[in-house]
Amino acid sequence: MEVRPELASGEVKHLQRCINDLISLLALPAIWSGGDPSQVLHTLLDALMRMLRLDLVSVRLIGPVGEAPVEIVRLAELQRQRPMPSAHEICQALSQYFKNGSRKWPPLLRNLMGEGDVSIVPLPLGLHGELGVLVAASERTDFPRQTESLLLSVAANQASIGLQGARLLSHQKRVASELDQRVVQRTAELAAANEALKKELAERRLVEGRLGQEEMELQRSEIHKAAIVDSALDCIVTIDHEGCITEFNPAAEHTFGYRRDEVVGKHLADVIIPPSLRDRHRQGFARYLATGEARVLGKRVEMTAVRADGSEFPVELAVTRIPLEGPPSFTGYLRDITERKRAERELRRSEAFLAEAQHLSRIGSFSWRVATDEITWSEQLYRIFQMDRDAQVTFELIGTRIHPEDLSVFREHVERSRQDGSDVQLEFRLQMPDGAIKYVQLVAHTRGDHGELEYIGAVQDVTERRSSEEALSKARSELSHVARVTSLGVLTASIAHEVNQPLSGIVTNASTCLRMLAADPPNVDGARETARRTIRDGNRASEVIARLRALYGKKEPMIESVDLNEATREVIALSLSELQRKRVILRPELADDLPRVTGDRVQLQQVILNLLRNASDAMSTIDDRPRDLLIRTEPDGNDRVRLSVRDVGIGFEPQAADKLFEAFYTTKNEGMGIGLSVSRSIIEHHHGRLWATPNDGTGVTFSFSIPCKPEGLGDAENPVNRIDLSADAA
Amino acid sequence: MQSPKARDGSDRPLLSVVDDDESVRESLPDLLREFGFAARAFSSAEEFLSSDCLDHTRCLILDIAMPGMSGLDLQRELKLRRQEIPIIFITASTDKTVRPRLLEQGAVECLFKPFSDTALLEALNAAIRVN
Repeated sequence: MEVRPELASGEVKHLQRCINDLISLLALPAIWSGGDPSQVLHTLLDALMRMLRLDLVSVRLIGPVGEAPVEIVRLAELQRQRPMPSAHEICQALSQYFKNGSRKWPPLLRNLMGEGDVSIVPLPLGLHGELGVLVAASERTDFPRQTESLLLSVAANQASIGLQGARLLSHQKRVASELDQRVVQRTAELAAANEALKKELAERRLVEGRLGQEEMELQRSEIHKAAIVDSALDCIVTIDHEGCITEFNPAAEHTFGYRRDEVVGKHLADVIIPPSLRDRHRQGFARYLATGEARVLGKRVEMTAVRADGSEFPVELAVTRIPLEGPPSFTGYLRDITERKRAERELRRSEAFLAEAQHLSRIGSFSWRVATDEITWSEQLYRIFQMDRDAQVTFELIGTRIHPEDLSVFREHVERSRQDGSDVQLEFRLQMPDGAIKYVQLVAHTRGDHGELEYIGAVQDVTERRSSEEALSKARSELSHVARVTSLGVLTASIAHEVNQPLSGIVTNASTCLRMLAADPPNVDGARETARRTIRDGNRASEVIARLRALYGKKEPMIESVDLNEATREVIALSLSELQRKRVILRPELADDLPRVTGDRVQLQQVILNLLRNASDAMSTIDDRPRDLLIRTEPDGNDRVRLSVRDVGIGFEPQAADKLFEAFYTTKNEGMGIGLSVSRSIIEHHHGRLWATPNDGTGVTFSFSIPCKPEGLGDAENPVNRIDLSADAA
Repeated sequence: MQSPKARDGSDRPLLSVVDDDESVRESLPDLLREFGFAARAFSSAEEFLSSDCLDHTRCLILDIAMPGMSGLDLQRELKLRRQEIPIIFITASTDKTVRPRLLEQGAVECLFKPFSDTALLEALNAAIRVN
């Protein structure tokens, strides 16, 4: 380049200006540092426009692969105010050249910015223009001057550097961001993996935890079991498939007398089974293991066991197989039942005693549950009723054994008991299938409240007792019959007894009299008194004898018209005190307007007296009811009169009625018994009848019936026939 | 009751008569007094037991057959009460076999009515002598 001095100052300024611009351009990268490509471009374009007073500057960046190219068009201020094609149109126009690369750029472009030519300077960006193209355009014809080209080159250079740097930066950024992204992703992946791991860990922990719980459960149940086994009252012994003891609880230790450690591992048979039974046990065990056939499994058996000291005792045993897989093992529960066996024996014994006692006493017991009619009998009761032990006892069945005549009474009692639960006492008869009659007595009372009324009772077979009682009374009556028959000697004794009383008085008084008179001075008053008594007693004696003679001697009877009521009243008067002494309650029922009879008054009175005394005697043992004595007179038909004496005494058997009137004699010390035989004689001589009838209830009624006017007797004044009893004197 | 004096001035021993027969109760005490005893008569064993003579009686003249408590019952009762009173039984019965039994059971004598005064006196002497 040639430097002209005239131009030097202008040139110098220009060059100065150029160097300043250069410095500015060189400073650009510092500005661009950290920025992106568009930033680089914009600053560059701004700088170029200003520095070079360009009219147009455009740049086309070729983006990195995949990115769209960047096109920027910048117009100077002035140019903008002119009507011109749009930036887009300018780009369009330029684009064809862009495509071709920078080498094919013409220096001038026509009508780029409207009318006129424009000088353009394409500047490749990048070492090989790979970055893009910068186009500077101006309408000046001297564009570009050297300095301007220099500046443009440097600018392009700087732009390339800047762009490269920016691109690099952005690439770096991109990479960094990609890296970041990758890192983030990776981190996310790691996090996810971590999460998954955590979850797995948590699950595993859960499983472990559950396992731990189950273990705890197992432990707990182990402890429970141990507690149960250890505290059980029953002996619990466990054996394995070889029959060796694996468990031996404290109760077993106590019962058998071994410590657990002494027996574990030993054969069960050798420890608790008595020597005599060991073989059988071993065989049974072996058989089970071989065949599965179990004789003792699952049920209660009783057997004998042996203690450490060798003593044998009864046990109750239940064996089960332990339900686990593998070789079998067994648990046995044993209980020492020595006490129970003893109690059972005692019970059986006492039951046997009771049965025996019932058998001996012929008493059977029963219970009757009213609500259900459930009846239970003791063995003896079956025997009494002669029924099969296996028979179901019902009222129907019982009815078949009750005597038909007693059946309704029995049923009444049953119904009443059902209603009111009152105590029962009943005598009735049974009739056996073969017709035999049994007498039974039944007593029962209730137990339990009304909801569950239950009768407990006993039935006694009293047939034998009754027959012995009958035999006894028969013997008694026979005895008294015998006594009656040997009457004469005793009759005499009785008469003598009657006479002895007054005689004794006579003798005593007479003796006294003599002594009194022999006294000094004589006791005349006393003697007189004794004499009086003597005479009285003597009279008494003769009266007795007269009475006797009247009955047994040859005395002339007095026939007269007799008022029987009057005669009866006299007899009552005579014997009242005696009857009262004997607690007899006399009830006279004497008929009004009783016709008179003809006969011997005294004799009839004797009969009445005899009947009264007999009735009184018959009741002398009666204590459970009043000793009622009824004496009644009544007309008997048209022409007879009847007198009855009724007692509630012990009575007599119907078959013995006639025997009564045989030579009967009373052995009683009081009074004069003239005997029923004599009485009958008297009545028969009155042409009457004397008889005895057992009462409906208790006791006997003696009655005689005599005609009012017997034929052949005549009237009182003209006795035609005498009643002569002498011939009948026993 | 004041005991009547004997002729020699000493107190008379008391005899008790128990008989349901009135004539015996009338006649016997007089005879006993003639013998020199004091005498009381009772119509029943119960009357005697409830009287005040129980401890004073030196001898009991006792009928066998009486209504209520008999002579034998009274004998038993006195034994139970540990009253040792000698007893002479009198009876109108003619059964002679009762006598040995009664003597065996501790009676001093058993006399059959009618008995003589001498028989009675002998028995009384035996009774009082024993006492």
